[in-house]
Parts: sequence; C-alpha cells; structure tokens
Amino acid sequence: MSEKNSVIMEVKNINLRFGGVIAIQDVSFNIFEGEIRAIIGPNGAGKSSMLNVINGFYHPQEGEVWFNGEKRPSMEPYQIAKTGIARTFQNIALFKGMTTIENVMTGRQLKMNKNFFWQMLRYGPAIDEEVQHRRRCEEIIDFLEINHIRKTPVGSLPYGLQKRVELARALAMDPKILLLDEPMAGMNVEEKQDMSRFIIDVNEEFGTTIALIEHDMAVVMDLADRVVVLDYGKLLADGTPAEVQSNQAVIDAYLGVPH
Amino acid sequence: MFYRETGQFKSKYKEELAAFPLAEDKVGIAILLVIAYVFIPLFGIPGLSFEFTMGAIMIPVFIFTITTLGLNILLGFAGQISLGTGAFMGVGAYSCYKIMTIFPDLNIIICVILSGLVTAIVGMIFGLPSLKIKGFYLIVATLAAQFFLEWAFIRVAWLYNYNDSGGIEGTNKEMFGLIVSGPQSDALTRYFIVLTLLVLLTWLASNVIRGRIGRSWMMIRDMDIAAELIGVRPLTAKLSAFAFSSFYIGISGALMVFFWLGAAEVESFDVNHSFTYLFMVIIGGLGSITGSYMGAALVWVIPVLIKEIGKTAFGFDAFVMENFSIIFLGVAIVVILIVEPHGLARLWQITKQKLRLWPFPY
Repeated sequence: MSEKNSVIMEVKNINLRFGGVIAIQDVSFNIFEGEIRAIIGPNGAGKSSMLNVINGFYHPQEGEVWFNGEKRPSMEPYQIAKTGIARTFQNIALFKGMTTIENVMTGRQLKMNKNFFWQMLRYGPAIDEEVQHRRRCEEIIDFLEINHIRKTPVGSLPYGLQKRVELARALAMDPKILLLDEPMAGMNVEEKQDMSRFIIDVNEEFGTTIALIEHDMAVVMDLADRVVVLDYGKLLADGTPAEVQSNQAVIDAYLGVPH
Repeated sequence: MFYRETGQFKSKYKEELAAFPLAEDKVGIAILLVIAYVFIPLFGIPGLSFEFTMGAIMIPVFIFTITTLGLNILLGFAGQISLGTGAFMGVGAYSCYKIMTIFPDLNIIICVILSGLVTAIVGMIFGLPSLKIKGFYLIVATLAAQFFLEWAFIRVAWLYNYNDSGGIEGTNKEMFGLIVSGPQSDALTRYFIVLTLLVLLTWLASNVIRGRIGRSWMMIRDMDIAAELIGVRPLTAKLSAFAFSSFYIGISGALMVFFWLGAAEVESFDVNHSFTYLFMVIIGGLGSITGSYMGAALVWVIPVLIKEIGKTAFGFDAFVMENFSIIFLGVAIVVILIVEPHGLARLWQITKQKLRLWPFPY
C-alpha cells in the first residue's frame, strides 16, 4: 500500500470511565486516510470501548475526537452514522427477521429521503429511489459474493455468511471509515482467508479507510498498515506491524513477565 | 406445480419490487376482489341470511381487519407492544363523533379519516414512553393509556355532547344522495364503503412496510442498537410507528361505531377488546398483512358461527352458546399456537411452499 499521510481521524487523550472502572485511560492515536489500522490487545483492554467511542455509543469523560480535520462535537450514534462511519459487531447484529437483500438495503437508509406521502403510494420518486439504491446494494452483494443467499432470511444463514452480510450492510453505507469489531472471530481458516481477501478488496477498490479489532495475530500482521496496542485501557504501542512485534512491552503484555 | 416462480423472469428491479411479483398472486388477489365486490353482495354466503352475512360477519370482519393491521404494524413490524388498542379505537370513534357534531355537513368519509389523524396524534403521545422502556414495561404504560382513555370517555361529558345516555350515536349521513351511515342506511352500502377503505388501507400499509420507513421499523424491532448505529433515529421510527398504527386503529374505531354498531358506549372500547385484537394479531401472525386478515376473520367468525349454528340448528339457549363459543375459541387458539407458533400466516406460507412441488414430494 502506498504511503498516505493525511489524517482522517484522530482521537486525543480519551478517558472513559464506568463508575470506578477505568475502561480507557489517556489514549491517543490517529488513522490515515485509506489505511488499514488494527487495534489489538488482550481481552478487556478497551478495544471495543474505543470503537464505541468513535461511533458515539459511549461518550468519554475527557478527550476529543477529530474527524476530517474538525473537532467533533458530542453527537448521538445516528448523527455520527451520517458523517460516514459504519461498523460491524463482535456478536453479529443483523436484523434477523429480514432477508439478506433487505439487510443490505438498511445500509442505504440514510441516503433515502422521500417522505411518508410518497412512501405510502410507493410511486414516482419513492420507487425510483428504491430502485436506484437497490442497484448499489446489488453491486455490493456481487462484490462480496453473496448473490445466492439474496432472498434468504439471515437468521438461517451459517455464521461465516452472516459476518459477510454484516460487512455488506456496513459497506452499503458508503462509509468513509469502516470499523470492524473482530471480523474473523469464530471462523475457520478458509473463512478467515475469504474475509481477509474481502477486507483488502474493500480497502483497495473502494478506498475505504478501515479500523479493525482482531485477535488473530497472523491476520493482523498481514492486513494492517499500522497497529495500535492497548492493554488495561492504556496505549502500549503504536506503529507498523514489524515495530509492534519487536516492542518489548507488547511481548510482555501478550506472553506475561515473571514478577 | 400450481404455485411456481419458475420461468417468471424479471429484467427490472421495479418489476421485482412490485406488490405481487408472481402471476399466481396477481390472479389470486383478482379472484378475491371479485368475490368480495361481486359475489358476496350478489349471493351472500350460502346457508346464511343476507342480513346476517353483512351485519354479523363481513362488515365486522373488515373493520377488525383494519384494527389488526394497525396493531400488527406496531407489534409485528415495529416490535412495540400495546394493550391500548381498544381505547385507541375509542379515540377514533369519539373524535369522529365530535367532528361530525362540529361540522355537520362534512362528508362522513372525511370525518373518519380526520378521526384517524386525531388518533394518530393521541397514539404518538402515548407512544412516548416507548423511547425509554421496552417489553413488559411498555405493556404497563399502554395499559395506563387504556385506563386513562376509558376514564375520559366516561368523565369528559363534552366527548358525548352531554347527552343522558353517556354514549355516542350515529345519525343518517348522506353521500351522493345515498344514506351511507346511520339507522336508515343500507347494509350493502356500508359494506362497500368499509371494503373499499380496507382495500385502500391494506395497499398503503403494504407500500409503507416495503419502503424506507417500514425498514426502519423492522430495524428497531430486530436490533435497536445496530439500527441506531446505521442512522435510524429511534424517536422518529418509534413514534411514526405509533402514529401510523393508531391512524388505522382510529379509523377502524370510527367505522365500527358509524358503519356497523350505529351506537356505542365506553364498554365497546374496554381492555377486553384490546386483548381480543391482540389475539387476532398473534393468531394471524406477527409481521404479516395476510395474517392480519386471517387472524381477524378467525377470531371473529368462529364464535359468531358457533352461536348461530347452535341457535338455529340445535335450538340451544343463546347464553349456553355464548359460553360454548368462548370455550371453543380458547381451545382453537391453544391448538393453533401449538401447531404453528408463528400463526396462520406461517401455515399459509408452508401451504404455498407445498403447492410449488405438489404432487411431488420434492
């Protein structure tokens, strides 16, 4: 991947506490436009909390989030979705009662705006809008190779495919930054390879900036341009995969040190 | 064999997004419409008197289908449970009555639609708790709405124009020189009006459900956190569901009084009725328009038919038959829910699936 150095997102001195529990302590890092940024760390290190801060589900007590060169005011998740941040979840959060295509269509929700009146008639602008967004969704479905399950209710799909549908739904938002929370959790080697391929394809073809949390180190080191390591809510290391791998603090955190 | 999508190719998304993409469905709906608009008015239901067919079966079933559609939008599509349906029908009925008193010359259909809009606003207000609470707690909040509104129907005498009976009553209303509502109206006229409204409302509901707004309801129902992170504002989605659902329920309430019963008191809108409508939705199938039709028809028609058959064929006492029909309906509900917990709509879907292959096993 070519060197890209314009910062699209920066978190500065984030502090997040739940009562007496300190989830994130004074963490700062940035994300370059177009890169794949990995966030790693042992369980409970605050990785998912960090993503929740970025997409507005948690409001940190202290710290700033800078996005597109501007300081972001405190916003609700649905407002942040509008700014172009999409995510997938650690435990799949698909809409179980809907089919694959309907799930992907939900990603276009924010781009549709025809009012109740047209929706009721489902005529003219409303149906044109529906068709136009359907086309984009079909492209994404094609891209992620889930055509054959287009009309299957997602609840009955195998785990690996559900993860892929969730990625499709996030992509349908045409996000500037895509947050992936453990996209490969619970997958076998083959599924992991597929998923890695899709993540690289998304990054290269759509130019989407990706921030991902992952526990499989081989995958992280192969995919990521740069890696942030968290431990107990603190920033342990930040750098290229090679730098992080040779960092003594990281090795200690993962392997443990004799006391 | 009889119901196959094979060979029906679509080359445009628009064709696929149509209400009935399959030719079989189009034919089926056309047949149903012809039966409803031509055969039943001409021949009635065989073995039953015409008056009974209209007054005790067709008109109430159509009205309750509108109620069930409304409740199904809220419960089946938006996942917000409500036990205030009876009272919301009351809001529709009383507000229609008031609108007719204030504007005596206004067309009754417009009155009915306006009363639906009033109910939508009331429903939105009582839907506000849903922004904070879910599930069982929301049931309690809507139950509070039910009791509050019932209280208002008795205590606020302005609602029934301070009359002595404490109830509301329809007067003769004309439209295009035809008496369409009130004591002197013809059952057939009212049948056509209610049927047309039902067809229209069903069409509108199916449109909304398949579009952006319907999807936002289903998103909130299935996974509210993910919905919010995709950009659905819970406030808008939940309140619009309450409003749209209450609109239907209000219309059905107004229709019930002015196109069927002719007069009503607060008892017609009590909590027992709320439970009956909930039954209709659950028996029919949550999140299904077809199911709303089947649920309303089954729950209403079975007791009525049992009572009628017991009375005319066996000469039983009406009181005995009343109890017997309640027992029978209870048993029927339990059996149906054990056989198919997802309601009649799912049974119909399975039947369709079987019809695709029949007479071959696979």
